[in-house]
Amino acid sequence: MKQTINIPLGSQHISLLEPVRFKFECENEKIIGVDSDVGFVHRGVERACTTKFKFDAVGYVVARVCGLCAITHSLSYTVAVEKLLDGEVTSKAKYLRILLLELDRIHSHMLCLSHTCENAGFEAMFMQIMGDRELIMEIQELLTGNRVQFDFISIGGVNRDLSSENAKLILEKLKLVREKVLSYMDEFTSNWSLSLKFKGVGVLTLDEAYRFNAIGPLARASGLKIDVRNEIDYLPFNEIGYEMQTHTDGDINARNILRLREILNSIDMCENVINGLPDGEIFTKIKGKPKGESIVRFEAPRGELMYYIKGNGKPILERVRIKTPTFACIPAFSHIFVGQDYADAPAILASFDPCLSCTAK
Amino acid sequence: MKKIKVTLENIRENIKNFYDEKLWHFITLNGVALEDSKTEIQWIFSKYEAMDNIVVYYAEIQQDDIVPSIVDMIPSAIISQREIVDMFGIKVEGSDKGLYLDADSTQMPLSGCSL
Repeated sequence: MKQTINIPLGSQHISLLEPVRFKFECENEKIIGVDSDVGFVHRGVERACTTKFKFDAVGYVVARVCGLCAITHSLSYTVAVEKLLDGEVTSKAKYLRILLLELDRIHSHMLCLSHTCENAGFEAMFMQIMGDRELIMEIQELLTGNRVQFDFISIGGVNRDLSSENAKLILEKLKLVREKVLSYMDEFTSNWSLSLKFKGVGVLTLDEAYRFNAIGPLARASGLKIDVRNEIDYLPFNEIGYEMQTHTDGDINARNILRLREILNSIDMCENVINGLPDGEIFTKIKGKPKGESIVRFEAPRGELMYYIKGNGKPILERVRIKTPTFACIPAFSHIFVGQDYADAPAILASFDPCLSCTAK
Repeated sequence: MKKIKVTLENIRENIKNFYDEKLWHFITLNGVALEDSKTEIQWIFSKYEAMDNIVVYYAEIQQDDIVPSIVDMIPSAIISQREIVDMFGIKVEGSDKGLYLDADSTQMPLSGCSL
């Protein structure tokens, strides 16, 4: 009979700055079983939204669920309310919402890629990408006034307009980011530490992606065509050059390359938004109190984010349900680890780009 | 959003007949507290590559009912099954308490019993 040992990864681990724990059952170097624990920092946001805050303040509360995809959270909630109130926002507000949504994606993907480099022992590249990511943070500050918590989206539109001076500055910075990302693409395809080393490691096949309902870059890197931007019409993604990116290999390298391609597509979309920004107001007064049920999904950087809300015509909602991407992918994560070498576990985990702030909302 | 009412007795059969993993994406399991300590359990699906095509199966349950598991058909459902066990204090077949709360916690933060 072979002897097995249990090795924990987390809840505090040098390769992962998030409070999650995977307990691996290993036979020599091979992982043969996985147990996960994601409940270290649950904050009770859903209950707070239905007990402490009126519906028009909840959009700002849910923005605090996650620092990386704050815009996606507040946007999903806001659109869910607007659906119940039969409110329509202006084209200009929709374009500005897309701009912030895609900037969220760009800097979040850059963060993931930098962590991947760190796990490959490529510290210089980690520092370089984190440094370049500052350009996106600066753009967000120009647009919203803040680097992390934006409070940019409100029921009826957005809270700040884009000036022509800022538009020019943003286009210059985006051009610079594109050059940087193209140089990363060279590194990620030709550097041994970032390409060959990660090929065939942490594979999720297309059939497994279907079976485990994988979403986001994890699913698309396995060839599964799921991207909420392709399945909703609340925002005009197709007007401004959205193209779904997929890969077929399903390994760490495929996830990295896919994220790089998505960044490039998001930069295209941001440029198109700024160059084609419609005239008009950024805010429309929407009156009433939500009554009924609404489900809204958006494509967060890590995949499908879903908000369910239920109102009864009173200022405080009956239910706010937040389904976050990392939470939904935990079963797929656990499955991928089985059969892999323990030594690869930190790099595989980094390639999932998990967000425990979202998960323990 | 299309809502289809089911019972705990026939939910598994309904999902078995409906769910094709290559056509439908399982989003999550949801709970909604109702009056009289009842809970509405929702199984939410969307169709791949279709515009806003969402189907919700739902059932009203009492606090001591046992919700059947669908993990044998949809493995990814385990995580949301465990979440509603914690948050609503209900029982779901094969799903232990302790995802977010302590395993011996008596709290049920989102249940109608605690609101």
